[in-house]
Amino acid sequence: MRDPRVPAIQAVSVLAVLAAWETAARLAWMDPLFVPAPSAVARALGRIGGAALAGLGDTLAKTAAAYVLSVVLGVTAGLAIGSVRLLREVLNPFVIAAYGIPKILVLPWIVLVLGFGTAPAVFYGTLHGLFPVMVLVMGAVRDVDRTLVTVARAYGATTWQLYWKVLLPAIVPSVVAGMRLGIVFCLLGVLVVEMFAGVRGMGYVLSALANGFQAPELFAATALVSAASIAIVLALDHLSDKLSHWRG
Amino acid sequence: MRRGATVMLARAALLLGLLAAWEAGGRAANPLLTVPPSAVLPALWDLVRLRSYPDLAASLLLTLREIAAAYGLAVLAGLGCGFTLAFNRLVGRAYGPILAALYAVPAVVWYPSLMLFFGLDAASKIAFGFLLGFFPVTLAVLAGIRQVNPQLVIVARSYGAGPLTVFARVMVPAMLFTLVGGLRTGLALSVIGVIVGEILGSKAGMGALINHAYGLLRTADYVALVLVTLVLVVGSDVVASLAERRARRWTE
Repeated sequence: MRDPRVPAIQAVSVLAVLAAWETAARLAWMDPLFVPAPSAVARALGRIGGAALAGLGDTLAKTAAAYVLSVVLGVTAGLAIGSVRLLREVLNPFVIAAYGIPKILVLPWIVLVLGFGTAPAVFYGTLHGLFPVMVLVMGAVRDVDRTLVTVARAYGATTWQLYWKVLLPAIVPSVVAGMRLGIVFCLLGVLVVEMFAGVRGMGYVLSALANGFQAPELFAATALVSAASIAIVLALDHLSDKLSHWRG
Repeated sequence: MRRGATVMLARAALLLGLLAAWEAGGRAANPLLTVPPSAVLPALWDLVRLRSYPDLAASLLLTLREIAAAYGLAVLAGLGCGFTLAFNRLVGRAYGPILAALYAVPAVVWYPSLMLFFGLDAASKIAFGFLLGFFPVTLAVLAGIRQVNPQLVIVARSYGAGPLTVFARVMVPAMLFTLVGGLRTGLALSVIGVIVGEILGSKAGMGALINHAYGLLRTADYVALVLVTLVLVVGSDVVASLAERRARRWTE
């Protein structure tokens, strides 16, 4: 069912947009101070390449820390809360509220308490990534086939075995879906902190370039972060495809 | 019934416990950094009486207008874009993946460029709120169209229904469930976009007030402003959920 016209259209469209953009910039239809030509952006990428890559590395390191925390805490809490009915019913509105509230409102307070730098970024990134994972896992544990649990109990499974051998394998698809969702949230959280109160990292680089009216460099840095996050998400998609094959 | 009562009681106890912990923690902590609820209430009262921030009403109105503009544009563009991609198979196959890839980028990376281009005033917040609200609406249209049973369309056509009738009487009711959900998510994200934009850099609006209070370490005022903004956030979601319920009742 592969249509050979699809990649052709995609390639032509991207090239057409770049060409139209370049022409418009060359003909000075747009102020180059705000919208630089793609060629200028490409040259700018060469200029800021090293600094931008260092910033990207810093951001990705914080994101990785926040991500590990989000997945571990989210899966553990989701499993614990989701499997105990009373706990789940009592805590559900709190979890949903914590998930839904715009976390940016508490960001000033987090920065006030944790200061500038790495700690608030990791904390805020975790705050963003934790709840989507937790909500997905809670729902998945609730929907695990009760028969599996009953049978395991009937065969004398201990509580530890029940969680480790029955519940956890049953919710793997939701954990993977949560991991796919969580990474973008973590990256978002880290970037927001760096923009708001950063001293390093890509978010800081972006806002510093914007404040300095360095449009070509800003566009180049934006393209770099975007490419990195698309690559990460595609890699996770690939991984989850492989995992689902393995699980059958 | 008894179980329901236990659950409600436990929730109330937990809420009270959290407030008590905040009160105790707030009293023990540095008052510049953390304030207890008992200090927030007077600040909230001052705020509502326009004592601490006389331009509260104007700021709220500005933020609301930014949200309305951002969401209106997001709905228009999202529906237009979604239906264009959905009705044209080839275009949908070509641009759908590009859209999905762009959705995988944390939207905040675009914000500095928007701020450079549109300036510090309302336009950059509207643009960012639009960007956040646009994707869920577009993706909901695409997902909704896939849920329409093609048999229904064929039957309606064979009974002589024109394309417009098929669209209005068959497709829209069949996809409404998904579409309305996307519209609700879009509103929530537009609201968040405007608030994030204001906090990351603005001269007016609720975000500017929050930044002002935070910058001067007026922590009680900051918490009061956050509470007022939360009312705005929760209120918009309540309106959206009422509209959602109504639309769902209409389809059944």
